[in-house]
Amino acid sequence: MSRREEILQKAMAIPNMPMPVQKVLAYIGNADADLRQLAKIIEFDPGLTVNVLRMANSAFFGGGTKVSTVKEALMRLGLGRLYQLVIASGVAPLARFAIKGYGLRPGELLEHSVAVAVASETLARELGVVAPPYTFTAGLLVNIGKTVMGSFLEVDAAPILTLAHERQISFEQAEELILGINHAELGALLLEKWGIPTPIVNVVRYRLRPDESPEPDLALDLVHVGDVIAKMTGIGMGIDGLQYAPSEAAFARLDVSPQQMENVMVAILEQIAEVRDILMENTL
Amino acid sequence: MEIVVNISDMKVTNRARDVLVTHALGSCLGLAAYDPVAGVAGLIHCLLPLSRDGKVPAKNPFMYVNTGIPQMIRTMYGRGATREHLVLKAAGCGRMMHISNQFDTGASNIAALKKLLQVNEMRLSAEDVGGTIPRTMRLFADTGRILISSCGRSWEL
Repeated sequence: MSRREEILQKAMAIPNMPMPVQKVLAYIGNADADLRQLAKIIEFDPGLTVNVLRMANSAFFGGGTKVSTVKEALMRLGLGRLYQLVIASGVAPLARFAIKGYGLRPGELLEHSVAVAVASETLARELGVVAPPYTFTAGLLVNIGKTVMGSFLEVDAAPILTLAHERQISFEQAEELILGINHAELGALLLEKWGIPTPIVNVVRYRLRPDESPEPDLALDLVHVGDVIAKMTGIGMGIDGLQYAPSEAAFARLDVSPQQMENVMVAILEQIAEVRDILMENTL
Repeated sequence: MEIVVNISDMKVTNRARDVLVTHALGSCLGLAAYDPVAGVAGLIHCLLPLSRDGKVPAKNPFMYVNTGIPQMIRTMYGRGATREHLVLKAAGCGRMMHISNQFDTGASNIAALKKLLQVNEMRLSAEDVGGTIPRTMRLFADTGRILISSCGRSWEL
């Protein structure tokens, strides 16, 4: 068996998302979904209820007068946001572990993922474009492959990094040479298996190489540049550090200016704490 | 005691037993300043080179090289440090591979520092900047020793 096949086989054995999350996702996928019914499913789960209320009352997602019931929260957040939140609540706990193989302390990967998600949405606001609704969630999930590589599969990233430096190639290219697969592709395959919607999976798959995406996608460009910005700030950086190449085409398509990039860096420092706390403190 | 300096943060101490540390220097600049005579140590972690329109941002001056560093050094003067004895060492200012110059915040950060020092007729004693590695920077207040760690290795600066 090749290393790639061995990794895929082990990764596919990773348990699915928590049951309440699966239930809610299946329900939202239902064309007849109604908010009252959905509120009931969520209220059945205390962890999810707390997350929904906190998210609806947070400055980043909602703000304004305080809401105190799940139904009010749903009215404010809308189905799209709720969907993101439920996926985030299901996957965030995985990113809380220390990921030794990739040099990440407990919580660091979640911090980086939140920085990518917040940066992608903030970038859209800064550019005056409307981010597709799945942008935030996709940003939050881009590192799931690292979680799998570094903790479940116990891959040691040190030799990968050494190769990347020796050959002056990006970290994910070195992953491919040594493991036969990079963490972006592995993450996408896992999310696909978990039934996460295709637009989200595609962002995760191509976020390091947006130019390889079969079709242009605003969310992908936003997450790619959001990821570059998050990496530059250093928040939640693993041993792979800045050993990645930004796509000039994605920067050009979005028409980002250096000033706008700096504004996003400042904004994410102010905003990640709130989002991180919601995801860190209430796990399902 | 180990005192953590966050992103856009600065700490000064004159307790010899303290170690100032800043983690996750990506494109950010870490600047350590030490006065061996007065025994005063300072460490700052700046996110960006220049605050807009040159004003000191009320919220967080330490976010920027051009406002944060002068403030740190003035704080150190207030604790007895002098310009003649100050030893300055810089780390960080990394960059993504092949990033175009206009988006290279790491290069802008080190350039802003060099300009600031030139205007004030001061100089760096040592620097470990650029490249793609993440850095942790430690300043030991008893001796002024600087330790950089990255990817499981450590070296003195």
